[in-house]
Amino acid sequence: MSDNLYAYGVTPDDGSLAVDATGVDGSEDVSTVSHGPLAAVVSPVDDMDPERTDENVRAHDDVLRAVMVDAERTVVPMQFGMVFKGKRPLKNILRTGRPTFSRSLNDIDGTYELGVKLVAEEGATVDREAVAERVDERLAPVSVGTVENDLFSDRLVVNSSYLVERDEREAFDEAIDDIDEAYDALTLQYTGPWAPYNFVDVAIEAK
Amino acid sequence: MTQRAPESSSLADALDRILDKGIVIDVWARISIIGLELITIEARIVVASVDTFIHYAEEITTLEQASAEGELDTGGKIAIDEREETETRPKGTRTQPAT
Repeated sequence: MSDNLYAYGVTPDDGSLAVDATGVDGSEDVSTVSHGPLAAVVSPVDDMDPERTDENVRAHDDVLRAVMVDAERTVVPMQFGMVFKGKRPLKNILRTGRPTFSRSLNDIDGTYELGVKLVAEEGATVDREAVAERVDERLAPVSVGTVENDLFSDRLVVNSSYLVERDEREAFDEAIDDIDEAYDALTLQYTGPWAPYNFVDVAIEAK
Repeated sequence: MTQRAPESSSLADALDRILDKGIVIDVWARISIIGLELITIEARIVVASVDTFIHYAEEITTLEQASAEGELDTGGKIAIDEREETETRPKGTRTQPAT
């Protein structure tokens, strides 16, 4: 096994995070690399460019979910494929990127992302604007942020991501039930919790 | 009808998020053992409204043209019509739940 480390995300370090999940490329050794107040969640991999298989994408998500849901930690997620050549480059990033990571963690502290889609039947006539407005009116009070995602299909009426505090999850679930009851003709797709992918947008480049 | 995936996720949604979103780190920064000088780009705010953006872009274009043609009196004040904006919630910012 090489020294390569696949990074899933960055979380506050308190020295006690244990992650029970299978990582990318089937790794059973998910751990953390710490520097100062930050820890990167990692697992060893052979390749610097892991395959974008369904299993690997699922594994990436499973590890983040274990950190967020099981360990109840806030995590800033990495995009798929962020592999480091050992601990030193990773610690360099945690050190130099500390202000950015800390600010991002503060922005999303105690939250995760939930996905909401409303899908119309083929050929159905729907007042899209009215539906979208009513959905947001109901969900905005029980969330702390919203991002409207691409309506990539004619049948898609709503495609939004909501940043929701853990303590508000039950209230958000109730609001989802209300929306579902209000729109019999639409299929509601409710997914998550996700790491807050739509609420963190950071790129770090070498000068 | 609700299709719920509580504590789980659809693969399509996972692919959309995990392959296209999240922190991106330059490959050189991921392999270098020496401390490289790094640039961090944070897109923390989205444009409040496309209308406003287009409006100001048009105003700036007009000013640039006037300046290039020598028609701009730089001593005078430039009036730009300020449009009333509805409140938006920028990406990742918090708003208090409605009471």
